[in-house]
Amino acid sequence: MPAAAVLLGTLALFALGYRFYSVYLAKRVYALEPSFVTPAHAYNDGVDFVPTNKHIVLAHHFISVAGAAPIVGPAIAVFWGWGPALLWVVLGTVFAAGAHDFGSIAVSVRHKGRSIGTLAGDVISRRARVLFLLIIFFLVTMVNAVFAIVVAGLLEQHPEAVLPTAVSLPLAVAVGQLVYRRRSAALLPSLVALVALYACIPLGQALPLTLDPVAQATGISTTVMWILILFLYAYIASRLPVWMLLQPRDYINQHQMVVALVVIAVGVLVGMNTIAAPLLREDVPADSPSIFPLLFVTIACGAVSGFHSLVASGTTSKQIEKETDSRYVGYMAALGEGSLALASILACTAGVMLFSGNQGLEWSGLYATWADAGADPQGMFVDGVAGFAGNIGVPEGTAQVFGALIIVSFAVTTLDTAVRLKRYILQEMSLLAADRFEAGSTANRAFRGFSRNLNITTLVAVALPFGLAMVPGDFALGTLWVLFGTTNQLTAGLALAVIAVWVAKRRRNPVMIVIPLVFLLFMTVWALIDQLIGFIDTESALDTFLLAPLDTIILLLALWMIVESFIALRSAFKGTADPIDPSAETDQIAVESSTVVGSRKETPEAGAGGSAGQDGPAEEK
Amino acid sequence: MRAWRRFEDFHQQVFEARWGRARTREARTQQDTLRALLLTETLGVDNPVAYETLDLIPYMVADLHEWHQRMGRDDFGGPGGCC
Repeated sequence: MPAAAVLLGTLALFALGYRFYSVYLAKRVYALEPSFVTPAHAYNDGVDFVPTNKHIVLAHHFISVAGAAPIVGPAIAVFWGWGPALLWVVLGTVFAAGAHDFGSIAVSVRHKGRSIGTLAGDVISRRARVLFLLIIFFLVTMVNAVFAIVVAGLLEQHPEAVLPTAVSLPLAVAVGQLVYRRRSAALLPSLVALVALYACIPLGQALPLTLDPVAQATGISTTVMWILILFLYAYIASRLPVWMLLQPRDYINQHQMVVALVVIAVGVLVGMNTIAAPLLREDVPADSPSIFPLLFVTIACGAVSGFHSLVASGTTSKQIEKETDSRYVGYMAALGEGSLALASILACTAGVMLFSGNQGLEWSGLYATWADAGADPQGMFVDGVAGFAGNIGVPEGTAQVFGALIIVSFAVTTLDTAVRLKRYILQEMSLLAADRFEAGSTANRAFRGFSRNLNITTLVAVALPFGLAMVPGDFALGTLWVLFGTTNQLTAGLALAVIAVWVAKRRRNPVMIVIPLVFLLFMTVWALIDQLIGFIDTESALDTFLLAPLDTIILLLALWMIVESFIALRSAFKGTADPIDPSAETDQIAVESSTVVGSRKETPEAGAGGSAGQDGPAEEK
Repeated sequence: MRAWRRFEDFHQQVFEARWGRARTREARTQQDTLRALLLTETLGVDNPVAYETLDLIPYMVADLHEWHQRMGRDDFGGPGGCC
């Protein structure tokens, strides 16, 4: 199958999803109204709440959610052939991610731009707020562990990428300061920064930097050395103000992503290469894990990702100018994330065979076992990008460093962000714990003291994923990546549960939200049980005594979420639930026709079945 | 040239939406902290350096109303109060 045909066919399916399914969601499920006064207008403060053009909001939202995860997951999952991975990316993006991202914005817009964690407490139950914190805590711990391994592996394999990576730090600070102090347009400094960064690639090739001598002298492996350096960086960077390093880095990364997507798309269309991997792999080794359920947690970002709900409800919903813009912003951003996953699938099944180091080999030789698939997925993507870039005349070595630089840049920024996020969660959880004890008691003071001490909270935030990254010993991503996928899918499940309850309470039919919710939770629980059996039924003490309890905790969180979602949905369907947030929609309700409110009062039992398909807006009760 | 200008304008708006506002938010947070320190006495907390910081208060009252609303207080009465 020509890669170009897969690219164009998938983009056509995405376009159909946007043209028809997103319209169905907007009209029949979320019941968007152009006249609704959005939080951006109601609370316009010129900083957080600002009515913004929908194209600008889309660009902002997409670059906030796009990262390395939709690249790495599909790079592992093509192990079962390109067909299943692509099918899950297409179906997941169109029916799950689209509804999830779009719905997260819609719910938040209707609730004063509140975040999904607060909404979980408001819409589902107060316990759901704690559940949310715990899930996010495990999610960011996994994120840090897996991305530290990804970056360490890349820097070890591609020492030519070390110099450009190092240069990107002062370059980012300089660009940030320049734009801030000169108050000039940002475009020119951005382009200069990109050119300067790419000019460092040949320098990096001429001066590859490796830690091997240090590793030999100290007796510590190179990978461990890199992981140590990365967590040290994450500790220092996360203590700096966000505007100093994190945001300028993020800013340069987004330009890199645009360049990478263009290079891959043009390389695919120009080269007209054939996909070397089988559509559905039949020679999967007997000891490999089953495609069900593992595929659905291996590809999380790129098919459906809970992380998006944090961005959608955290910042995007505060900038939506008209409620109907939620469709364009949320659904299109999900399609953009799906396109990144598509690029990764094509790079690892077609582009990778164009790479000179792989010529003459069989594709199945690269993905011989499940362990091989999970050992170096980032390397497969880098080789694939190098292959496609070769189609447009970029030298292979340069293209490899270019590909490595993209993943390293994104992953290192994610490390910084995730450590910050975990520190906030630790502080909030310790304050919640302090409230359990009498004010002034030793325990109360201890928890409050822990919450206030930024050095200790950051140290804990760094130490946990560092320990986790060390556990597998072989620094293969496979196991940790699957655990990361389960936490990500649980976050998506929680957001979908919030959306489904909200839709049901508005007397709309939530079935198209409940289906992906049930599917995700079912696959996640199945994968967790599957993994747990594997961790227990092994001779590895680390698996049994560390990963198995971790898996059990995540499994318990999943079961807790199922119970909470079930209770909240049942209440919503029965119509006995308390008002979610009467004040949130007060203004809108006043504008809405009183006959709608009246009809609700006349038919209090008309739950999902009675008025599920009605077109008019409904009051929340 | 016109296309370049339009692209530059779009880029600038995205920059402001994502990174520019974050910088403004950081500046506002620092201003809010300073304002809270200056107004601690109106909040019922003793301020040992009130005499030294008194001169600064006129500069901080210009957007007092926005500040106390942002802090979660719909009204801000008392001496030198707002509404």
